[in-house]
Amino acid sequence: MNAKLSPAVLFAPVLMAAIISASLLMPAPAFAHHSFEAEYDSNKPITISGVVTKFEWTNPHARFYVDVKDEQGNVINWNLELASPNALVHQGWKRTSLKVGDRVTVDAWLAKDGSRFANAKSVVLADGTKVGAASSGDTGKQ
Amino acid sequence: MHKRASGFLLNFLATVAAISLVLSSCAFGQTATPASKPTLRTADGHPDFNGLWGPDRTFIYNIESTLKKGETLPLQPWAEKLTKERVSKDDPEANCLPAGVPRMAPYPWKILQQPKLVVFLFEGNIHTYRQIFMDGRGHPEDPDPTWYGHSIGKWDGDTLVVDTVGFNDKFWFDFAGHPHTEKLHVTERYRRPDYSHLEFEVVIDDPGAYTRPFTMYGHAPLLENSEIMEYICNENNQDVSHIVGKESRK
Repeated sequence: MNAKLSPAVLFAPVLMAAIISASLLMPAPAFAHHSFEAEYDSNKPITISGVVTKFEWTNPHARFYVDVKDEQGNVINWNLELASPNALVHQGWKRTSLKVGDRVTVDAWLAKDGSRFANAKSVVLADGTKVGAASSGDTGKQ
Repeated sequence: MHKRASGFLLNFLATVAAISLVLSSCAFGQTATPASKPTLRTADGHPDFNGLWGPDRTFIYNIESTLKKGETLPLQPWAEKLTKERVSKDDPEANCLPAGVPRMAPYPWKILQQPKLVVFLFEGNIHTYRQIFMDGRGHPEDPDPTWYGHSIGKWDGDTLVVDTVGFNDKFWFDFAGHPHTEKLHVTERYRRPDYSHLEFEVVIDDPGAYTRPFTMYGHAPLLENSEIMEYICNENNQDVSHIVGKESRK
């Protein structure tokens, strides 16, 4: 332990962690061509786990679809919105990041219209990597 | 003791500032260069605006946030009523129609600068361009109303001044739905105060919808190690049928 290090330097990692945590908790609108709050409810975060059935690397948003089993064993297909490909590329995504059959877990915000439509905030990919998906508050791989 | 305490405080504040700079430069997930290098210049001596620039987010949600602190938009009563009545599913931008001027979208844009022509290339929304004629021509006498209008530019010292008329009244100024009319006259003043930043002031003069001209203030960061990508909004726009609310951000 170097006793000559200033308290501020020693404190920096803690401060950095605190600021990053705070930035991840901030209300986070998507990179979108439409109003986030007009479509999604930031007070209704959900976590979805299931199997990818389709991945669309398109504009204005990339999208993927996930089959999720409900408590009765019924399979429901969710439509999940990501940012635009450009914004995703800068968060580490590729058009091959998701494949049909991948098992994923998604943190998302529900659509206000009650449909099986949600805006993905982050995705745990099949290899276990957690990737930021849409929010301007995300800083990429977490 | 006081010295040590103030030394700690200075170190602490410097650390906070450094971390804030790093985090803010990551806001678009791209590399924004620290403001250390001087403004580049073209062969004819003018500031060089060529490059890829990021959006100013205050020009996306509600343009009231671009005004000087404490100022409000001088909306005429009918324009205020219309703003309140508009719902986000009808926003042209949500429907893959152009953002117009000076609205920004959350995508990069590129400036191509030649002595007699400046072009803004937009990744979105939509994948389009603005031409700013620098060859001394004036505006047409009766321009067809268009989404981006007719733009002519000139230099005022190190400031690029862009004068635009001939707008249609179809685009919204922001997610909040602020309107305008075909009487809209936009004057933009662009500066590059250092290598990494653009600054701009935009005077909106629309006697059809506002009681007086007002000025919007914006900034754009230089985006390095990045590029404009293809953005074809109509390819897979599924949002509109799910938009049920309205932007309320101030």
